[in-house]
Amino acid sequence: MAAALFATVCLIAACGLVYELVAGALASYLLGDSVTQFSLVIGIYLASMGVGSWLSRFVVRGLAARFVAIELLVAIVGGWSASLLFLAFAYTEAFRVALYAIVTIVGILVGLEVPLLMRLLRERFAFKDVVANVLTFDYLGALIASILFPLVLVPHLGLVRAALGFGIVNAVVALWSTWLFRGVLGAPRALRTAGVAVLAVLVAGFAAGDRLMAAAERGLYADDVIFARSTPYQRIVLTVWKDDLRLYLNNHLQFSSRDEYRYHEALVHPGLAANPAARRVLVLGGGDGLALREILRYPGVSHATLVDLDGEMTRLFTQHRDLAALNGGSFRDPRVTVHNADAFTWLDAHDDTFDFIVVDFPDPSNYAVGKLYTTAFYRLLKRHLARDGRIVVQSTSPLFARASFWCIERTLREADLATAPYHLYVPSFGEWGFVLAGAAPYVPPDSLPAGLRFLTRAQLLPMFDFPLDMRPLPVEPNRLNDQVLVRYYEKEFEQINR
Amino acid sequence: MSDPTGVPLSRRAFVVAGAAALVGLTRKGAPAIAGGFVEDDGPVGHRIRDGIAPGAVRERRRVPLVIVGGGIAGLSAAWWCERHGFRDYVVLELAAEAGGNARSGANEVSAYPWGAHYVPVPGPRASLARELFTELGLLVNGAWDERTLCHSPQERLFWRGEWHEGIESFVGDSAEDRAQWSRFQERLAALRASGEFTIPVSRGRPARSALDTLTLAQWLDRERFTSRALRWYADYAVRDDYGTSARDASAWAGLHYFVAREPDEKGPLTWPEGNGWIVRRLLERVGPRVRTASAVRAVTPVRGGRGVVVRTEDAEFTADACVWTAPLWLAPHVVDGFGPAPVMTTAPWLVANLTLREWPTDHGSAPAWDNTIVDSPGLGYVNATHQRLDHGGGRTVWTYYHALVRAEPLAARRALRALSWPDACALVLDDLERAHPGLRRVVERIDVRRYAHAMARPEPGFLSQPWRRALLASRGPVWYGHADVGGLSLFEEAQDHGVRAARAALEHLGRGAARRQRPADLNE
Repeated sequence: MAAALFATVCLIAACGLVYELVAGALASYLLGDSVTQFSLVIGIYLASMGVGSWLSRFVVRGLAARFVAIELLVAIVGGWSASLLFLAFAYTEAFRVALYAIVTIVGILVGLEVPLLMRLLRERFAFKDVVANVLTFDYLGALIASILFPLVLVPHLGLVRAALGFGIVNAVVALWSTWLFRGVLGAPRALRTAGVAVLAVLVAGFAAGDRLMAAAERGLYADDVIFARSTPYQRIVLTVWKDDLRLYLNNHLQFSSRDEYRYHEALVHPGLAANPAARRVLVLGGGDGLALREILRYPGVSHATLVDLDGEMTRLFTQHRDLAALNGGSFRDPRVTVHNADAFTWLDAHDDTFDFIVVDFPDPSNYAVGKLYTTAFYRLLKRHLARDGRIVVQSTSPLFARASFWCIERTLREADLATAPYHLYVPSFGEWGFVLAGAAPYVPPDSLPAGLRFLTRAQLLPMFDFPLDMRPLPVEPNRLNDQVLVRYYEKEFEQINR
Repeated sequence: MSDPTGVPLSRRAFVVAGAAALVGLTRKGAPAIAGGFVEDDGPVGHRIRDGIAPGAVRERRRVPLVIVGGGIAGLSAAWWCERHGFRDYVVLELAAEAGGNARSGANEVSAYPWGAHYVPVPGPRASLARELFTELGLLVNGAWDERTLCHSPQERLFWRGEWHEGIESFVGDSAEDRAQWSRFQERLAALRASGEFTIPVSRGRPARSALDTLTLAQWLDRERFTSRALRWYADYAVRDDYGTSARDASAWAGLHYFVAREPDEKGPLTWPEGNGWIVRRLLERVGPRVRTASAVRAVTPVRGGRGVVVRTEDAEFTADACVWTAPLWLAPHVVDGFGPAPVMTTAPWLVANLTLREWPTDHGSAPAWDNTIVDSPGLGYVNATHQRLDHGGGRTVWTYYHALVRAEPLAARRALRALSWPDACALVLDDLERAHPGLRRVVERIDVRRYAHAMARPEPGFLSQPWRRALLASRGPVWYGHADVGGLSLFEEAQDHGVRAARAALEHLGRGAARRQRPADLNE
């Protein structure tokens, strides 16, 4: 009998600590800054236990029945705590409110448990033994829980099922207490019925834990994540919402399948259509194969070479069904050769020349990428340009990053290239800009390939006209030894994000 | 070369280490770091100093010109000879490799410097440096090669727990600091306008200067520059360039650092292997006539000063002229009749190359080429892979510099000599871990070079010391061409003095040869 009683103490202590750990771990996962989250959860939990202990003085009659009822409440609230918190984070703005409310409620209930239990035992054992044994098994239970939590519960069950599992333990303890205290319980049947109901709900939840978790995670992202991988160079994430497929690299949107044709038609055709004799084309960056898709519209193009740093990108866009459909299977075209290499070093190591070069790098947000926007890089590109050849450079937004855009244009001129800047509207990006550059001044094309969805010849000319709020600014060229572009870009981005 | 693993472990240390290992108290997860001392100059230098007799002569050769010392000065002297069609010379270098303070090393990750690692973009007055860099293809039609100019970001400072790009952020910390900083800039502008400070020094050299009668620290006091940030920066500058603290350096030398350069482009020029790149390019031109591991033991004027005999450990060269481009403190031990030792002290340095598995923990602005920790006893580190053009990341090599300025040079030199390799590693890592916690865990190896006499220290009065003028006025048969003659250990100074001495020697040889045949144009 004594052993059974103290085993109960041990179990309820373990349950109490598990709920506390679940709340702390969840807050750390979702909010970050684990030190703060754990400190706050532990502090609020312990204080709430103090409140519970103080409240226990107001429980005078029906001690055993109250104890069982409290156990059942802990089982419900604690057991569902992780699920509730995930759903609160996914679907409401009030995650912190829910977190501290649940921690407080569970804390108060757990704080009530031990004083009531000690008073129940006072009649059966000497008081000094009650205090010694209850506290001993209370601490022992905490130890067991704190060892199980990181080693077994989190890795094998996950937070949602760990909480539900210990809710089940609490419910079992409640049922078992109706037997332990059968002598002092007034109406055990009602409590037993309630206990069985609670147990059934928790067991059902435990069985469906995976689906609960998935429902919660769906809410975490605006769209469904269909692919996510970290490569040595970047974090690739693909999302889908209805018919909108989006690619994010390091959390920056690269394209939305709804309007990417605007971007890629504008990137390729103004330059490539203007040179009907173009046979050899080079793409730097553009591992999504979408610029290639536009290039391959020209029957005259006999070789298209793509140099992209990240082999994971080109592999994904070659093999993934939806993605290969989006780029028209461009990577499987026999005219295409892919090199997974750094653009700067690849150009240094090769001496091929090209009739058209597409430069489609990420925005110059750091010094490493900024090197690919320097006079040194453009001089190197110029050496790879055939006679009458032309370069087009993705040049960020002339509206949101006006100095950056004109700095890229200025840098190309500094490398002795004649430039022709232009812009268009891409709904998912906003106003966007490109710069054409070549040895000779640019002459727009007489015709465009068939099958386009955005670009027309009539649409071309206005693209080369810049309204007042996008006109050139006085800027310095970007050099390896003085990367002003990264500073312009950083400053302009700060202003947007303010 | 000493064996790094041969550092004996005392029995007590062994027992402590063993007990610690038993209870799992060894340093957490820090993998073993490889490396050792990379040194080969000291023992030979001490044989010379201690006057131990050289070995038997196995080779006797007649050569018109012997250049003693294959650092930047000696190689520049040889370069000058080559440019003027004169190839009858030999360069004798004590160490196993030419280059002196501009030597470099390399491993599978990168080439890296062992000392001098940059040249400020030479201004219009540094015509010799411009001539060399034009020949090496770095200066074309007045434009500097962008790839060789130090890439952005050039430098950053670590203070208050974070890296900050550039130097102004630190100096502008408080209003008073900012006011003093702009007053400092005004003072420098005025000094610049005086024309007293030039690169090379010989282009505008004053015979003496009032600023050479006091230390840099005294000058800062006199000018009421009390800003802690500014004084740290001034002290850092002279430690970095001269291995001398502001308390010991001549104010003239210190101000020269700030005032003399007049670059027309943002620089400096730098390479993964530092100035070792220049050494390599010079050796492509003069290499066949450079003999390494050939310590010169005696230089003896003969034929009434019209000739000279140069003795190495195992060879004897009979020459008409000798250009001395080795450190000057060695000269009294080697040159017959040199007279009393020059009054000068030299700075001991420690340089370490750290090979890193990956970039360590880093807070604040992006990694720069030159990374300096404020209030550190060291000088920070340069990143050897900074000039790479690819996306970067991955393994790299850092070159860590530390001029030992706290003690006076002799004591510092003894402490340096007594340092074990593990001590040296601890010194380096403890310093760098202020800015990069857990650095130890990503370090693969640490190679250390100790320079007992890295460079002459420009102390007050150095400009007007009579022995310098006497050496400059030498009429042969030995001409002195090391940077020590001027007293500032800078690339441009080494080159300027080396070429000046070579020119004087060639003139001397030309006069002798004129009776027989007219050599190629020796005067420029």
